[in-house]
Amino acid sequence: MKNITKILLFTFVAQFFFSCMDELDTINDISKSNFALINQDSIHANFPSLIKGKVGIVGYIFTNCPDICPLTTNNMRLIKEALENDKITNVEFVSISFDPEIDKPGILKNFSKLHNVQFSNWEFLTGEKETIKNLLKEVGVVAFVGDSVLIKDSSYTYLYVHTDRIQLIDQDGKIRKNYLGSQINIDEIVEDVKKLL
Amino acid sequence: MLISCNPSDNNMNEKDKIVITDAWMRAGLKDRNTAAFLKITNNSNSDDTLFSVSSNLAKETQIHETFTKENDIKGMRHIEKLIIPANSSVELKPGEFHVMLIGLNKDLTKGETGNLNLQFKNYGSISIKAEVK
Repeated sequence: MKNITKILLFTFVAQFFFSCMDELDTINDISKSNFALINQDSIHANFPSLIKGKVGIVGYIFTNCPDICPLTTNNMRLIKEALENDKITNVEFVSISFDPEIDKPGILKNFSKLHNVQFSNWEFLTGEKETIKNLLKEVGVVAFVGDSVLIKDSSYTYLYVHTDRIQLIDQDGKIRKNYLGSQINIDEIVEDVKKLL
Repeated sequence: MLISCNPSDNNMNEKDKIVITDAWMRAGLKDRNTAAFLKITNNSNSDDTLFSVSSNLAKETQIHETFTKENDIKGMRHIEKLIIPANSSVELKPGEFHVMLIGLNKDLTKGETGNLNLQFKNYGSISIKAEVK
């Protein structure tokens, strides 16, 4: 009888312990990294330290993208609205461009305005080509130039092949979950954010 | 005796053989790219082929498809033509086929409309209006 009581007590404690865990594994700890970038207002910002102490929702884009990246940006806007509706604060949104040659701060600002971004807790970041390359490697995002298109005026535009990604980063700079940026389930990431708070 | 549910091409008004619906464009910035989306319905009894799209909204207009590779990697590529099977519809929609507007001549902002001209092999040319959303 004494043993049964012990087993029941152990089971109860174990269940309680595991239910308190956030159930999200660490994919990569990037807290020791530091990438010097600039935001849409040409103000210096270090990633990932700018989200330290907050839950970070990070998307990877290029502004010349007509399809996947606007979907990702729009989904981040919907996540932001859903979190605000639930009165959830302490979340920082970051969109990082992997096309630094084109995506200068002014272009990022115009792109974000076009997609109705409210800047209170959302930064659009760009930087030196080498810095962006190292950052992408660290966070596990792939981006390389695919098709290029010659335009009538003899200029050309190029399109990136890239990881379709929104990333959840915790308060300690650990990547906790990856989502398809263009097809993310808004309810799923909102629930995941709640687990981290 | 075989009875077809589809009206024969002879009974159909010529202009109804290809019908475009749900046309819209994503907002975009001058000199940058954006995409247009629409649904093409081929009401005729033979396949047709969309082989070009033109517009004065952009320096270049192409038919594109979004493709997916391993590890959630996505990209876009130009396609030469898009076949619309007889008595079927093909939807150009986000994440799939789209009309790529390359090098916009001006900002496209929500609520505006613009013209697209679609060229089909059999049907010929059709001009449509698309709203920016």
